[in-house]
Amino acid sequence: MKKAVVLLSAMALAASTWAVEVGKPAPDFTGTDINGKTIHLSDYKDKIVVIESYNQDCPYCHNQYKTGAMQALQRDLRAKGVVWLLVDSVNPKNMSYRTPEQARKEMAAEKMDVTAWIDDSSGQIGRLYDMKTTPDMYVINQEGILVYHGAIDNKPDPFHNPRSADNYVRDAVNALLAGKPIQVSETKPYGCSVKYAD
Amino acid sequence: MNVRRIGIILACLLCLAAFNATAAHTQARLILSADTPKPGGTVWAGVELRMEPGWHTYWKNPGAAGMATKIEWQLPPGISAGPIEWPLPEKLPPAEVTTYGYDNEVVLLAPLKLADDLKPGLLKLKANVSWLECKDVCIPAGTNVQSTLNIGNETRPSADAALLRLWQTKIPQTNAPFSFRAWLEQPTAPDLRPLVIEGDQTPVLTKPPGRVDFFPDAANNFEVRAATDRVPIPAGFCLRKLVKKFSGNWPKEISGVMVMDDNGRRKGYAVHLLVADKMPVAATIPAAAPGSMTGSRPDLPLMLLYAFIGGLILNVMPCVLPVIALKILGFVSEARSEPRRVRNLGLLYALGVLVSFLALAGIVIGVKAAGHRAGWGMQFGSPIFIVCLTTLVTLVALNLFGVFQVTLGGRALNSAGELASRHGAPGAFFNGVLATALATPCTAPVLATAVGFALLQGNPAVVILIFLAVGVGLAAPYVALICNPVLLKFLPKPGAWMERFKIAMGFPMLATAVWLFNLAYDDYGKNVLWLGVFLVVVALAAWIFGEFVQRGRRHQSAAALAALIVLLGGYLFALERELDWRAPVVQTASSVSLKDSTDGINWQPWSPEAVAQARAAGHPVLVDFTADWCLTCQVNKKLALEAPSVAAKLKALDAVALVADYTHFPERITAELNLYHRAGVPLVLIYPRDAGTPPLVLPTVLTPGIVLTALARAAGPGPSASANPL
Repeated sequence: MKKAVVLLSAMALAASTWAVEVGKPAPDFTGTDINGKTIHLSDYKDKIVVIESYNQDCPYCHNQYKTGAMQALQRDLRAKGVVWLLVDSVNPKNMSYRTPEQARKEMAAEKMDVTAWIDDSSGQIGRLYDMKTTPDMYVINQEGILVYHGAIDNKPDPFHNPRSADNYVRDAVNALLAGKPIQVSETKPYGCSVKYAD
Repeated sequence: MNVRRIGIILACLLCLAAFNATAAHTQARLILSADTPKPGGTVWAGVELRMEPGWHTYWKNPGAAGMATKIEWQLPPGISAGPIEWPLPEKLPPAEVTTYGYDNEVVLLAPLKLADDLKPGLLKLKANVSWLECKDVCIPAGTNVQSTLNIGNETRPSADAALLRLWQTKIPQTNAPFSFRAWLEQPTAPDLRPLVIEGDQTPVLTKPPGRVDFFPDAANNFEVRAATDRVPIPAGFCLRKLVKKFSGNWPKEISGVMVMDDNGRRKGYAVHLLVADKMPVAATIPAAAPGSMTGSRPDLPLMLLYAFIGGLILNVMPCVLPVIALKILGFVSEARSEPRRVRNLGLLYALGVLVSFLALAGIVIGVKAAGHRAGWGMQFGSPIFIVCLTTLVTLVALNLFGVFQVTLGGRALNSAGELASRHGAPGAFFNGVLATALATPCTAPVLATAVGFALLQGNPAVVILIFLAVGVGLAAPYVALICNPVLLKFLPKPGAWMERFKIAMGFPMLATAVWLFNLAYDDYGKNVLWLGVFLVVVALAAWIFGEFVQRGRRHQSAAALAALIVLLGGYLFALERELDWRAPVVQTASSVSLKDSTDGINWQPWSPEAVAQARAAGHPVLVDFTADWCLTCQVNKKLALEAPSVAAKLKALDAVALVADYTHFPERITAELNLYHRAGVPLVLIYPRDAGTPPLVLPTVLTPGIVLTALARAAGPGPSASANPL
């Protein structure tokens, strides 16, 4: 236990020195997806990567999915060659935790179109990226630089129609693809708190 | 009688009418302060939210996650609602996603203004309330609440009036009975800057001092992080929080609530901070003397006394001692023969010290005027200064060994006495300058306080006064000696021993040169070899000069030329070409050298974030602010911080040890030191395990006992045990 605390604080320290910062290289990570596949961020060099912190039980995430807006965004962007990594950092004791089996079902039921759903129940990736909320969005450019971090859109509300909001992720990725500067590169993420392991 | 009965019946009716709505885990109800108000007045309305155990709802600024509760009024004509008045919320865990909200229950208040021309009769008030309730999961919920007002001739309080009054007392007051300053420090990352809020007093008199915190209002393009560092200051409070900017400019104004703890009762004051872009120079609370934390503010005379005593103590600090040896020698050699001359030379020495301190004061004022932060011993951060001083000290050592004469100390033994006497005056003056230059890396006890006070002053006159007082202290022993001929009698008689003593004193001087040389390593790395080569060449030139110019009989000018050529060649080749001494390798932030230790203290580089992280994880934290050129720091480290007992205690407490390397004057460490009203290192802080308690500031000179006591206090749970700085 003590060891775990030391390890954790060491991780926390490491995280503080590696804290993600817009305009700086996004730190690499290794995770396992719900199909048991090992995923490294560095696997996707030269590609635009979107990272989404996710918890379907959170009304803010749920609103994006039940309206189909998130899936549409995933489809659109992936068709343009974008990699979409979904990070689920909910700890196993929380009722929102999904076993890989449940996660695979949820992914099919919601018709999600993502490159991988990473089981981050240890919270390692979430903490490395300082994810505060679900959803919390990251866009990494082809050079591995974090170019957007923050809210999914400009309507911090669990009931709005996402299609009528300004979607920061879509704007950032489209700007990257068009070779234009990104208008909004950082916003305050909104949503439920990530249910990290203690 | 009649009226009263009707009143009771009405009240019962209203009870029934009050619409109780139940959502998943929160119950909402609309309550009013009066049920029969007369037109033209104000009635307080409250939306009472009762949460099931473990569930909470959010404040107007939910924090890192969550959503503020919303009230949408549906009011009849003639009644208008003011904005929601939010009772003081709690900070809700976890630390990594801190939110502001309410556990168990809350009443959100709003004033309802009644028009003058309202007709008597029943009016239905409705509101749609929506909130986010969270426990292990978050659920958005909402409901319609309603209540009824009976407009009458006379205002009578309702059954809920007492409850509303109770919650009204929890609304932050707007007339904060204290003044405060706020400023942003240098960015720790492009979009991250520490915000410092300093208050001149804690209005709620608390023993122990209450925990002060700041809950920010929500803002669009920036966010004030929830973690709060409390910096101990003698009076008032000082907080530091991180501000993250999302877009646009840095905020000039930040509003929120200052939260004070009054013996367990929390009080909030709504404040609007005007945020300066840098630390306001003149507005800083002066420091108190260490060890005398009485809470009273130090005054100038006391600080001058500290400066003087600090200067006195400097005389016996290791950096200055070799110069002192020279000085003693000078006295001995002159004392008998020419007491008058001794007095003059002594005064000249004192003048040298004072002029140097004046120059230092001037530099400090200039640096401050340019908007930078000044630090004691900051010249040691300049590699050029170190190279010059190393060369100079080497030459002084060679001179003491008798390689050549510049007639610094051993003038009386010089065969060319007449010549020397002419050099005596500048020599004495120079001695004073040298003593000052070498004194700065040694922060003597007591001195730190006075100089810290001086460096934070906006008034240049105070800076000059304090620095002069230090100089007077440094020079005082000699002035006392020469002004009192009786004392001179206690000095030993001159003789052959003096030559030996002089040479012996060359060794501490050589040791000083080695120490300075070691400092240069940081700037030049392996290339420092070429500085060594240059020093050897300088020694060679000095020898040629001494042997063939000063003591030689023939070809003196040729020898002088040879010495000059050797010196110049050495300079051009070693310093200019190989070392490139004026453009040393620039130290990058990432190359913070962790001072290795042999006894298992795992020193980590300091940063405010590292402190926050470690505290969030529940560790006590020890921070050693140190510099390679700070001898006091090295001694503290060797004798106290790394004593086996202290190392064992740190391990036992699971404490995090951080080292802040001030060798090259990083701006953020200067800022941190200034926060603690220190002008330089050493500074050792111990943050208690309880993250809400401000750090303990340890004295300048440490013993293992002091550190162990502080660590024991830091480990303890009670704020009362650790509230008083050592």
